[in-house]
Amino acid sequence: MKKHVMGIDFGSTTAKAVVLDMQGNIVAWSVAHMGAVSDAAVHQAVDDVLAQAGLEQKDIGRCVSTGYGRRMLDIADKNFTEITCHARGAVAMVPEARLVIDIGGQDSKTISVDANGLVAQFAMNDRCAAGTGKFLEVLARAMEIELDEMGDIAMGAKQELKISSMCATFAETEVISLRAEGNSKEDVLGAVHQAIATRTLGLVNRVGKKGPVVMTGGVARNKAAVHYIEKALGMPVILPKTPQIAGALGAALIGLDDYKAELAESGESLDEDHDVDAQMAFDKSCVSGCKGDPVAAAQTAPAATSKLKSMLGNLQKHF
Amino acid sequence: MLLESRVKEQGSILARLGEVCTDPLGYAREWKARTGGLVVGSFPMNFPSEMAHAAGALPLIIQEAEDPITAGHGLLFPFYCGYTRSTVDQAANGELDVLDAIMFGDHCVQLLGAADAVRMSLKNTRVIFFQLISSMCDPWTLGRAKESFEKLREELEDFLGRKVEDDALRESIRLFNRDRQAMRKLYEMRVAGQISLTATEMQYVVKSAMVMDRREHLELVEALVAGATENSPAPEKRAIRLHLSGHFCQAPKPELLDMIEGCGAVVVGDDLYHGFRYISTDVGENGDPMEALAHWYLDRNTGVPCPTRVQNDVDWDAFLLDAMRKENAEGMIVLMAKFCEPHMYYYPEVKEAFEKAGMPHLLIETEHESMALEHIRTRVESFLELVKRRRGAAPVVTSAAQGEVA
Ligand code: SF4
Repeated sequence: MKKHVMGIDFGSTTAKAVVLDMQGNIVAWSVAHMGAVSDAAVHQAVDDVLAQAGLEQKDIGRCVSTGYGRRMLDIADKNFTEITCHARGAVAMVPEARLVIDIGGQDSKTISVDANGLVAQFAMNDRCAAGTGKFLEVLARAMEIELDEMGDIAMGAKQELKISSMCATFAETEVISLRAEGNSKEDVLGAVHQAIATRTLGLVNRVGKKGPVVMTGGVARNKAAVHYIEKALGMPVILPKTPQIAGALGAALIGLDDYKAELAESGESLDEDHDVDAQMAFDKSCVSGCKGDPVAAAQTAPAATSKLKSMLGNLQKHF
Repeated sequence: MLLESRVKEQGSILARLGEVCTDPLGYAREWKARTGGLVVGSFPMNFPSEMAHAAGALPLIIQEAEDPITAGHGLLFPFYCGYTRSTVDQAANGELDVLDAIMFGDHCVQLLGAADAVRMSLKNTRVIFFQLISSMCDPWTLGRAKESFEKLREELEDFLGRKVEDDALRESIRLFNRDRQAMRKLYEMRVAGQISLTATEMQYVVKSAMVMDRREHLELVEALVAGATENSPAPEKRAIRLHLSGHFCQAPKPELLDMIEGCGAVVVGDDLYHGFRYISTDVGENGDPMEALAHWYLDRNTGVPCPTRVQNDVDWDAFLLDAMRKENAEGMIVLMAKFCEPHMYYYPEVKEAFEKAGMPHLLIETEHESMALEHIRTRVESFLELVKRRRGAAPVVTSAAQGEVA
């Protein structure tokens, strides 16, 4: 029996991978930015997460993919949509959540969920990038600022301006003319985030406004987006620590269910197995990475080193 | 016949029906050249084609074309439904010239606008307009329906220069009934898992009936039924059983239907006009044929209720839930043509009833030109995942699923 499962979220601008143990604990996660759906970047996320976990692909019992490129991945055993996976991942992160707002690179969605993390209703943006990360990206470019600083600048807005168009291209024209009229960057950006919030409120109403609300996806890391959405909803929004990996986590959890069900069907006892294996690892791990087999230890040692390296790298990125 | 050759024959029949559906006006041109007869076009959904058939003409229900709207833009606003815009566009581009006459019935406001625009474009085509009572349960409904059909018959006779004889009409009614029965048999077999017909193939079967010479069509459909009775491959058991609802005047695009089934669903029933709605009801074969046609007009609305008609004692939503129980369907996808007013007005009732019944459904708005298929695929897959995961889940939530677009 293998001891880990993996979830991969092959999104439109980033790839995320999560490895779980058989109890559903996150062993490692990784986010790779790629600009557009790219094979190389998704493999980067997968390699990174495996290195962090000190594992190889063959150690993964089940691999489930989600996101735009979910069908493009050979290593995935199954794929599920972003809706299903984000709901599952968000409820795993915030068990009390009943409404998930996910704003990613190219789509925004609202999902009402039950206590099992199962989707009750969902709504998605339709056919254009209105109210998504892409919308922010285009407008950041128009304002000549970095995407990452957008939220902070927008928090300094003093005056309420209005952007009426939700089409990224038309909104770009509006933003340029608001700037030309002498409005501050802060105020214009405040209006941009207000526009996203209004759009989100519309999506929320389609599935029914109810709390607690959790927000996932890359845009959840944008302070101003969260602030304006909270204001529009009249409700607090809970932010998980790592909102961008909700989809990958949900995919991994679905993979875990699937793998456990298969093992149960084939008659393997998960708990006993786990206890025996854990005891063996405890008894024999005099060498790092050794599982009682010296040959295997030699092979897994470099993986352990690279795990350390990658953890250090992550820490550096963080600070 | 050996299984292999039977499957081959089935395939070639479906391919033939598909060909007709892809180019209905091409079929009409070819039929005209072959027979020298007249082609009488009509708008969906209430024209009794039996009448034109009895007069020796080819009745053809005008279909939405694949092409993007060009000339039609100058005649109809973009907020008309895809069917009306496409019909007007085909008229403006001269493609409807193959029709010798067109019969318009009014079943919605947009159709009325389209009728005027077509009339303006086709100066040499005889345009016959008939009005049908939309209130279905008044004491005078039957009489008014009969009057409308009588007037239509007179206009048709005037145009064709010959009588529509009662006996000929009865003969046509019998032929059409037999064809409808054969198609309904395919529906029954599909529900029972005795035949594996995709949603697109079923559409080909029904849509081609709106275009082809009926006898030719009947022969092909009866051969399909006969060929499928034994050893027909059953559909995938694990697939989600779906009911498709909506889409009145135009056929849903085959690529959309294929995509839906490609996501792991099998369509087991529908109430589409290019589906069960069209074939649900037969016309009485005895007595006065005009009286029988008027009854048929009324009966169709209890057979499969239509949101363009008003009938207090008939509920579309109750009909849908009941049909789904009979089909053992696990979820419903509503296909709503953008700007189709009757559908938009009625949909909230369906939504409410489905939510109350805990029956999952997904609304997809379709468009003539730009449908973001990939985007819709994500919603369809999510919907199917939801239905599938709920199969085995504890019943915590009673609300229905609905993946609306924003
Ligand atoms: S019923 Fe709907 S689809 Fe048919 S013509 Fe009217 S608006 Fe168009």
